[in-house]
Amino acid sequence: MTQANETLFIQHFKESSRPLSYYLEKMNGYTAAKKALVMPQDDIINEVKKSNLRGRGGAGFPTGMKWGFIPKQSAKPKYLVCNADESEPGTFKDRDLMRYTPHLLIEGMMIGGYAIGANTGYIYIRGEYTREAKLLNEAIQEAYNNGYLGKNIMGTGFNFDLTVHRGAGAYICGEETALLNSLEGKRGEPRVKPPFPAQAGAFGGPTIVNNVETLTSVPFIINHGGEWFSKLGKLEKSGGSRLFGISGHVKKPGLYELPAGGATLRQLIYDYAGGILGDKKLKAVIPGGSSAPVLTADEIDVVLDIEPMMKIGTMLGSAAIMVVSEDYCVVKLLTRISKFYAHESCGQCTPCREGTRWMEDILHRIEHGHGHEQDIQMLLDISNNINGRTLCALGDAAAGPVMSFVKKFRADFEAHIRGGKCPNA
Amino acid sequence: MSKCIIDGREIEFTPGQNLIEVAKKAGVEIPVFCYHPGLTVVAQCRMCYVEVEKMPKLQTACSTPATEGMVVKTKSDKVLQAQKATMEFLLVNHPLDCPICDKAGECDLQDNSFKYGNAYSRYTEERRTYVDLDMGPVIKKNMNRCIHCTRCIRFGTEVAGIHEMVAIQRGNNTEITTIDGRPLETEYAGNYADICPTGSLTLKDFRFKKRVWFLKQTATTCEGCSRGCNMFLHQEGNIIHRCTPKENMEVNKYWLCDEGRFNFRYVNDEQRVKEPMMTTGSNGLQPNDWASALDVARSVLTGRQVLVLVGSDLTQEEAKLLQDFIPKSLPRASVFHFGTPGICSAADDAPADKILKRKSKTSNLHGLEKLGYKGFSEIPAGTEAVLVFRGGRAVLPDLKGLFTVGVGVFKKNEAEKLVAVLPGASFAEKEGTIVNFEGREQKIHRSIVPVGKSKLLPEILMMWANSKGANGTA
Amino acid sequence: MTNSEVGKKLLSQKFYDEMKKLEPRYPTQVALLLPALHAAQDEHGWLSPEVMDEVAAYIGIHSAQVREVASFYTMYNLKPVGKYHLKVCTNVACCLRGAEELVEHVEKKYGIHCGETTHDRKFTLMEEECLGACGTAPAMMLNNDYHENLSVEQLDKILDGLE
Repeated sequence: MTQANETLFIQHFKESSRPLSYYLEKMNGYTAAKKALVMPQDDIINEVKKSNLRGRGGAGFPTGMKWGFIPKQSAKPKYLVCNADESEPGTFKDRDLMRYTPHLLIEGMMIGGYAIGANTGYIYIRGEYTREAKLLNEAIQEAYNNGYLGKNIMGTGFNFDLTVHRGAGAYICGEETALLNSLEGKRGEPRVKPPFPAQAGAFGGPTIVNNVETLTSVPFIINHGGEWFSKLGKLEKSGGSRLFGISGHVKKPGLYELPAGGATLRQLIYDYAGGILGDKKLKAVIPGGSSAPVLTADEIDVVLDIEPMMKIGTMLGSAAIMVVSEDYCVVKLLTRISKFYAHESCGQCTPCREGTRWMEDILHRIEHGHGHEQDIQMLLDISNNINGRTLCALGDAAAGPVMSFVKKFRADFEAHIRGGKCPNA
Repeated sequence: MSKCIIDGREIEFTPGQNLIEVAKKAGVEIPVFCYHPGLTVVAQCRMCYVEVEKMPKLQTACSTPATEGMVVKTKSDKVLQAQKATMEFLLVNHPLDCPICDKAGECDLQDNSFKYGNAYSRYTEERRTYVDLDMGPVIKKNMNRCIHCTRCIRFGTEVAGIHEMVAIQRGNNTEITTIDGRPLETEYAGNYADICPTGSLTLKDFRFKKRVWFLKQTATTCEGCSRGCNMFLHQEGNIIHRCTPKENMEVNKYWLCDEGRFNFRYVNDEQRVKEPMMTTGSNGLQPNDWASALDVARSVLTGRQVLVLVGSDLTQEEAKLLQDFIPKSLPRASVFHFGTPGICSAADDAPADKILKRKSKTSNLHGLEKLGYKGFSEIPAGTEAVLVFRGGRAVLPDLKGLFTVGVGVFKKNEAEKLVAVLPGASFAEKEGTIVNFEGREQKIHRSIVPVGKSKLLPEILMMWANSKGANGTA
Repeated sequence: MTNSEVGKKLLSQKFYDEMKKLEPRYPTQVALLLPALHAAQDEHGWLSPEVMDEVAAYIGIHSAQVREVASFYTMYNLKPVGKYHLKVCTNVACCLRGAEELVEHVEKKYGIHCGETTHDRKFTLMEEECLGACGTAPAMMLNNDYHENLSVEQLDKILDGLE
């Protein structure tokens, strides 16, 4: 168990941590930047590679490797974009990072921008985070006023401009190419790849898109070294400590900072989050945001990290764990989840546009007692035809829950169809 | 030259080409909806799947560049199953309108469904529907039929240069529209109907006119301006029903402007003069036979100072024939070409927009000048009568009440100003050569025989030369 | 003639000043579209066709381009909304903690269905997707503010206190 004073982030999650003065005094504010901005760019990238920092937005891609994809020379300006769209159901960690430790993000972005050769950074923040955007802007203004942003930062000759760009309500804008389109003033529709953002991203220039938590980890890596960060994590390929969000039917929902791979799902639910509300039995866990295939109560001894979760057919994703106890109807839950994906589909590609709504309609009928025998197979067929066949990962995210819920809780669906209603009701 | 393997065959390709282009050139069929060679690639329809060795997921051929040694399968079980699934998804909301839809017979959705889809539907939910708004005089919208390929949106921004056709809402409710029922502004609206792979966007002009399998098409060249876009005229029963573009990467790529596309309407129009006309006494212009009309024409022109105007909508062959004929029959005549007001010579011709259109509204201005014709600017002093040769495009200048004989295509209200009309062939009724603004020689081919009593120019001139006057003089 | 042509602008000078300050931060004018729509909506509460035409004129793009963007995102209101716009999250975590009861409660309290506005134009009720407050579920947005850890009683207290 990580002690409160050993955490990187959570110990600072309070209103009084926000001002620049706190950041400078209590969090080694901008010392990493001072160090980094006179290092060779490749050295910074190597340090991040050594740290085994994995993208914290959900895909878990090694950050150092991603930064290495940016070409050294470019005719067009390069950009560093922070993905603060945080819309994956169950996820609420980036919100606290932005409202309590905004300077951590600013410093991380400045170092990242320098490492890849970008002089402009954007923070794409979901539109609903109105207050967080305002607080970020205030922190950015503090940074500009004190020479931590703008021209010739801390006398190093490096220029970096940072702008907060608000989204307007679209989960799909968490997908990096959709985010870039939205940044450019267009519909948030994902792009065909290739070209990849590192070749042609924002405004046609080479671009890196990183999650908030990924970027806030960077100052620690520079200050203490990549190896130190890597050793914080409990598994070889996964460094650092990270924020796990747990919600639903637990006694103590909220954020917990643990080493990567430092606990099992069982430990998180029962040891950290106090166990199931009302001491009920556990029925299901959605372990990585709603896009992660569901786990039954028998599957919670898995280590909470990227590779172990993949091995059992689900994913850590954004480390957003939602806990369902025995009373709740999983058919109702899946219906609500499928409604979400149908609502958030951008509509470009055929399987997602037609398939998500089709699945929602079938599940709606089943939930309300009008299911047919062939509906279960139909759901499996449709989700199979969406999975791996779409322009972006939203299709897979929509198919995953349907396939896993229907397979693992088939009896519940059959009971709805045969009985004409929820057996729990 | 690099090589890849498609369905077991070694195929050459140029680096940078996507598999869809490589396959097309090699004659391998891959079904598409959203892909169009003249528009950017979006890989949205998910129909053009191929299986590529060493890649676990199926790839869309339109967005996958060919690489050296790539092994591609276009008809494997995995691919066929995925294409069946795509067809199933597309037909979930698409109405079974084929019996009443103009697109039937040339519909990509129909064709691909037949070849790659199921013969039955598993969909039992309620279909999504839209309320259609008007889009103006050219295109009829039926949003229920739309499969969201977005070709129309891309055409608007990338080719027509105007961001007027847009997608609103998102997800399954996405609607493609001009906003608030505003009419399409572009002068290239007809192309929307060509590129739409379903009957969602159709031409109002062609609506319910003719089933496409009854039409016979002839390749020819447009006479709308001096570009000479390549096109097909579609006819049945000697009536032209519609016109579509013919691909020519050097002249018009895949497109036609609306002026050129709908130009053919005058050919079968009821207002076109289709029999010889002449003035007799106080009755004005009346229909008559060829011999009598020719007599009137000759009597008006012979022995007088004649201005001969040769339309720059005539072919090279016709123009050469007249260069031979006129000095012999009307030795004192002054001869000029005419066609577009304000355009007196080829030097005046210029682009009229950034896409296809040219300022010269006739197709053979450059050809006639090549033959030595000079452009008309004003009536020479002493002119006593005018002889006009034209097709359907050359605009008649003000002839200040001079006696005028017209040979060629005229509307009834134009003919009222003439003393005799000898009906000739339109561009759709003859063979010939025209020369465009680049000096490119192109052919026009006849789709229909001359309507009514109209005749081709060589025959008219021969009759003229052979006929005797009313008093027996030649 | 549109309002912009007549010279009568629907958007205030403050809007144009704010936009002017943002312009140098982006390499293209079109990138200002999302911020401009937010600012325009802040002034009028919703985006009417005339306001969107004015935004189009400011940025220098076709009206249709503004519509396609505005209609894609859920935060842009293309119809007028009540003085208090309630957006109650009913996604997974909030659903698990009783969000549906909250929605039903508001529906009964004001006699409207989800998606509707009260007759006096005071309240508009919507269901919302995940707001990112799952640890403090159930949550809702009241105009721009988050309210979390809601119960029916809490909700009543908030709503009854609104003028």
